[in-house]
Amino acid sequence: MTVAGPTSDEAVGGKRVRAAPQVGLFVGGLVLLAVVAVVSVGVGARSVPPAEAVRALFDYQGTDDHVIVRDVRAPRALLAIAVGAALAVAGALIQTTVRNPLAEPGILGVTAGAGFAITLGSGLGLAAGQAGQLGWAVTGSVVAALLVAAVGRGSPLRLVLTGVALTAVLNGVGLGLRLTLPDVFDTYRFWSVGSLAAREQAPLAVPLTAIGLCLLGALLLSRSLNALALGENVARALGASVARVRGLALLLITVLSGAATAIAGPILFVGLIVPHLVRKPAAGSVPWLVLHAMVLGPILLLVADIGSRVLLPTGEVPVAVVTAFLGGPMLIWAVRRYGAESL
Amino acid sequence: MSLRRTPGLVGAVALALALTGCGSSDGASDDAGKGRTRVFTADNGKITIPEKPKRVVATGYAVPALIEAEAPLVGISSWKRGEPMMSQRDLATYKKLPKVAGELATETNYEAIAEAEPDLIVIGVPAPVLGDIDVKRLESIAPVLAIGPTVPNMWRKQSHQQADAAGALTKFDAVKKAYEDKAAALTAKYKAVLPQLKAGHVGSYGEAAKGTFQREFGGSWGTNIAEDVGVSYYGQVKKKGPGSQAVSEYPSLEELPTSLRDADIITYSVKADGSVPESVKYVMDSKLWKNLPAVKAGKTFPLRYTEAATYGQAVRTLDAIDTSLAPLLNR
Repeated sequence: MTVAGPTSDEAVGGKRVRAAPQVGLFVGGLVLLAVVAVVSVGVGARSVPPAEAVRALFDYQGTDDHVIVRDVRAPRALLAIAVGAALAVAGALIQTTVRNPLAEPGILGVTAGAGFAITLGSGLGLAAGQAGQLGWAVTGSVVAALLVAAVGRGSPLRLVLTGVALTAVLNGVGLGLRLTLPDVFDTYRFWSVGSLAAREQAPLAVPLTAIGLCLLGALLLSRSLNALALGENVARALGASVARVRGLALLLITVLSGAATAIAGPILFVGLIVPHLVRKPAAGSVPWLVLHAMVLGPILLLVADIGSRVLLPTGEVPVAVVTAFLGGPMLIWAVRRYGAESL
Repeated sequence: MSLRRTPGLVGAVALALALTGCGSSDGASDDAGKGRTRVFTADNGKITIPEKPKRVVATGYAVPALIEAEAPLVGISSWKRGEPMMSQRDLATYKKLPKVAGELATETNYEAIAEAEPDLIVIGVPAPVLGDIDVKRLESIAPVLAIGPTVPNMWRKQSHQQADAAGALTKFDAVKKAYEDKAAALTAKYKAVLPQLKAGHVGSYGEAAKGTFQREFGGSWGTNIAEDVGVSYYGQVKKKGPGSQAVSEYPSLEELPTSLRDADIITYSVKADGSVPESVKYVMDSKLWKNLPAVKAGKTFPLRYTEAATYGQAVRTLDAIDTSLAPLLNR
């Protein structure tokens, strides 16, 4: 198995992907990401002057403005970056692995697993507080993904069908529990509307570290996925170990989407849309697809999060609602702009 | 539960009985001569009811009020949220009475209500929730009075109305006097310290998952009983809405400094067992809370039983307020 990131011009499907435009696009994306992140820490319910926001980051005095920027908004922006990157890369990996343009991380049952675990934990009275919910969501995601991988291993189609079936079962049983336990329904309904608000006090070191490591892992695995994207037979002919590459990809997808879902709840559209938006610019190169997704995912989520804070004068809109609102038109635009090739 | 009588038959009989009272004025005797009726004004209009009801069904907020007033109850809705605030005697009565409805208005069991053969039904739910109940169907069983909560501090008036309708004012007045005496005693006790202090309150209905907190002003659940002791809650909601929205709001945590910076003391709602609710804990764990002048001065006070909606429950709230504010007398 070859493990390497995109460092120079590469041949994909008989076409040579030139590195220079890709690097330019990537750097441009990083600059845009930095700008959006700065705007994100400057916008909120309380008006903080831009100079004060900058001072909060580099000359912290502990004033109310500084606390808001450094302890509320900056962690939130960091979360948006991590969750956006995790979901977008997980989406790129799952679409490449199962070779299905409609695939998104939730198709492996990860989201349903997390939701069911939160329901179960709340019903047992053991999912109180953000730390409790985080633990149950991670456990549910991992168990569901392992179950899907165990039953559906062997072919991408079986994997997808197993994921869909498990999702339906978990959603059905979870709904039944929630309808009989109103308190559990209350807990679930707050979690189920994906949001980045008020996560700054949650214990995030472990999930953020896991996301960081898996993003690195996705980059390392991406060149091997280039071969898999051409089909199993071609991949084998090129010397790739299909089972091992697919297994590693599923592991990365599970941890990335499981950690992101545990932190922020279900924010499904990012994992579906971002890979479509960057597929054309990536010119069929999986390494560049992963890299561009890693930058565009956070940009999309940060923009949506800023929108969630300013759209309504009466308060915040959950970011998952804004991503869906933005994501639908963006997906239609991508399909019209790039045609079937984007899919 | 036995269903020997068909609901239709019971309803028809009850309807016939109710109709005999129609048109009678306050204190008039009905045609059947079985009892006097009077016209009672409630949320659902002017209703003719028995002057001295013998069999009352209560739901929602009317449940604790009428148990406490020792009304002649034959059926109640489930009211789990009020259990921690009930006295042992009231709790025993609550557990013994047949449950004819669940926690939600949509869980009203019309057949069970008909089976209880009430001569008065008192519904204690907010006006918007009344739409979830088939009032016409209930009216076919017995006269229906809707006396629901509006602004939180109106529980005094509403519990009085409920007890009055159920003919249980004697006990109600005794408990009310006990409350007023205790409130007056506490007002005198804290007279030297409380009038000079501006207070703010953090309620338990904020949503940590949305990054908001509940700021309660005067007249709200968390504040109205403390006000009877002399605590002065300053400020008002930015944009008043109906019901409790007239006296409380849900700003972003970022607005915590602006909202409570001027408070000399801060009270906050805790659960009946004294534990801090998740929504309040979210506020108290933030650095913005720790930056507030009142917090730095150590002048924060937990309040239990802030959801009291009867005088008996409010007596417990007064005791809790006294326990919590006692350190103020030592400063």
